[in-house]
Amino acid sequence: MRLLELHRVSKHFGGIRAVEDFSLEVQAGEIVGLIGPNGAGKSTLFNCVAGVFPPTSGEIVFQGKRIEGRKPWELCRLGIARTFQIVKPFASRTVLYNVTVGAFATTSRLAEAERRALAVLRTLHMEEKAHVRAANLTIADRKRLEIARALATRPRLLLLDEVMAGLRPTEVDEMVEVIRRLRDSGITFFVIEHIMRAVMALSDRIAVLHFGHKIAEGLPAEVARDDRVIKAYLGEDYGAA
Amino acid sequence: MNASTVTRQPASGRPVLLRWAPLLLLLAFAFALPLVVRSATYLHILILLLLYAYLTTSWNLVGGFAGVLPLGHAAFVGIGAYTSTVLSLQYGLSPWIGMILGGMISTIVGVLIGLPTFKMRGAYFALATIAFAEGLRVMVENLDRLGPFRLNGPRGLQIPPLEVGFGRLMFAEKEPYYYIILTMLVLAVGITWAVSRSKLGYCLAAGGEEPEAAQSLGINVARLKLIAMAISSFLTSLAGTFWAQFTLYIHPKSVMSLDISFEIAFIALIGGRGSIAGPLLGALLLRPVSDFSRIHFGDTLPGLHLVIFGVVLILVMLYQPRGLQEPLTRLYRRGMQRLFGTGEGG
Ligand SMILES: Nc1ncnc2c1ncn2[C@@H]1O[C@H](COP(=O)(O)OP(=O)(O)OP(=O)(O)O)[C@@H](O)[C@H]1O
Ligand SMILES: [Mg+2]
Repeated sequence: MRLLELHRVSKHFGGIRAVEDFSLEVQAGEIVGLIGPNGAGKSTLFNCVAGVFPPTSGEIVFQGKRIEGRKPWELCRLGIARTFQIVKPFASRTVLYNVTVGAFATTSRLAEAERRALAVLRTLHMEEKAHVRAANLTIADRKRLEIARALATRPRLLLLDEVMAGLRPTEVDEMVEVIRRLRDSGITFFVIEHIMRAVMALSDRIAVLHFGHKIAEGLPAEVARDDRVIKAYLGEDYGAA
Repeated sequence: MNASTVTRQPASGRPVLLRWAPLLLLLAFAFALPLVVRSATYLHILILLLLYAYLTTSWNLVGGFAGVLPLGHAAFVGIGAYTSTVLSLQYGLSPWIGMILGGMISTIVGVLIGLPTFKMRGAYFALATIAFAEGLRVMVENLDRLGPFRLNGPRGLQIPPLEVGFGRLMFAEKEPYYYIILTMLVLAVGITWAVSRSKLGYCLAAGGEEPEAAQSLGINVARLKLIAMAISSFLTSLAGTFWAQFTLYIHPKSVMSLDISFEIAFIALIGGRGSIAGPLLGALLLRPVSDFSRIHFGDTLPGLHLVIFGVVLILVMLYQPRGLQEPLTRLYRRGMQRLFGTGEGG
C-alpha cells in the first residue's frame, strides 16, 4: 500500500530552487532513506511534507488524500510526525514533560499521556532521564528526545532528519536497531541521514538529492554503485563515514 | 521566552496530607487574618494585595503559560467595572450579574484582540495590547454616553451606597470584601493549577517555548492562546466589578490606566511568570511597596513605586530570570524534605 506519494514537488525560495520536480513513493512499512550533500534540499522536502510551508508546485498525497498546504498540527493528527535537524526541545521542561506533550496528541488525560510517554522513553532507553531538564541533555540525548516526542504522537509515518548526527558508533547501531523494531511495529520511516553506514544498513530504498534534483533511487547497493551518486556525493564522503 | 519552571514528577503514592498541609495552613491563616487585623487601613491594603494577586494570577494564564507578554489587561478591568456599574446604576441589575456579563464582554474583546495579535512576536504583541487598552481608556474618557449607557467621560461614575448586602455586592465593613476577593483568588489559583496539569496547560507551555516544535506535535498554538486569553480576560474582568463595588467610584484613570497593566506585569515577572506561586509571591512583595510609596510619596513623587519595581525587575531578571518563586520553591522543597523526608522535589 502506498502511504506517501510525492508528485513533481518543487520548492523555490525566491531565486533558490531548493527542490525541483521531486517524485517518490513510500510504501507502508518501508524505511526509505534520503541522502545528498549539504544544501541539497533534503530538509526543505521534509518541511513541505510536514506542512511547515507548502510546496511551490506539485502534489503530496498521504493515505490517498492530498495534503500539500495543510498545517503541521493537522498533519500530525493525520499521522505524520517529524524530528527537527536543529533540535527544538522544550528546554525548561523535563524529558518526561516534553514527551507527554507529544502524547497529548492522541489522549486528553494527563495520567494516560504520562504513561504513554514513559513507555516511549523505555523503547528508546531513556527512562532514567525522564526527570532531567531537557536543557541539560547531551546532543545525542536531545536527538533521542526528538524521536521520543514524535513517537508519542503515535504516527503512521515518521520523518527523521539526521537523528544520528552526534551519536557514537555504538549508539548509532542501537538507534538502527530501535528504528527497525519500530518499523516492525507498523511505523513507516522516511529518513534523512548523513552517516552512510547507518542509512545503508537501515533503508529498504534510498533516494539521492543533488541541488534539489533526484539523481538516483533504488536499493542501497544499487545507489552506492551509481556513477552519478558517487560523483556527486559518495566520492567525497563515503570513506569518511 | 521561557514559560513555567515547575518540574513535576508523575503522580505517585506520596503522603497526600503532608503535601497539602502547608497549603491548607496558609489558607486557614488567610481566612483568619481579619480576626486579627482590625484596622480598616490595613484591611484595605490586604484587600488590594489579594486583588493584585488575583489579577496577576488571571494574567498569568496567558502571560505566563502562553509565553506572550500582554500589557493591556487594564482594559478588561475597566470593561468589568463599567459593565456592572452602568447596569446597576441605570437598570438596578445586581452587580453579580453585571460581573458575569462584563466577563463575557471581556472574553469576546480578549479574543478579538488576540486574533490579529497572537501572530505577532514579542515586543510587537506587547505594544499592540498597550495601544488597545490605552485607546479604550481615551475613548471612555471622551464619551459621555455610549448608546443608552451613561459613562460620564472623565468624571466617571459614583455608586451611591444605598442598598447594602451580599446580593448588591456592597458592604459597610471591609471584611466581606476581604473574604470575597480571597475566595476569588482561591478559585483563580485552583483554575491555574488545573490548567497546569491539563492538556491545555502542557500544550500552551510547549507552544510558548518552541512554537514550531509544538505545532509539529499536533498543537494549534494560536488557537490555544486564544482559549487562554478568553479565560484570562474573563477572570480579569471580574476583578473590575469587585474593584468598582469596593471603591464605589470609578473613572477611566482608576480602572483602565496603564499603571494597572504594568503593575500586574511587574508582579508576574518579579514573582515568576508561568508558575502558580509567582503571582502570589510577587503581590506579597510588591504591593506593600506600592502602598507605602503612595501613602508617603503620593504627592511629592507619584509613580515612585513603578520606578522601584523597574529597578527590582532588572535585578531579578539579572540574577533570577525565572522570578523569585524559583529559589523560594527550592528552599521550601528542601525544607519539606528535611522535615518529613518525603520524596518531594524535582
Ligand atoms: N526557509 C528558507 N528560506 C530560504 N532559503 C532556504 C530556506 N530553507 C532552506 N533554504 C535553502 O534551500 C537550500 C536547501 O536547504 P536544505 O536545508 O533543505 O538542505 P539539506 O539538504 O537539508 O542540507 P543539510 O544536509 O546541510 O541539512 C539551501 O540553499 C538553503 O539555504
Ligand atoms: Mg537538512
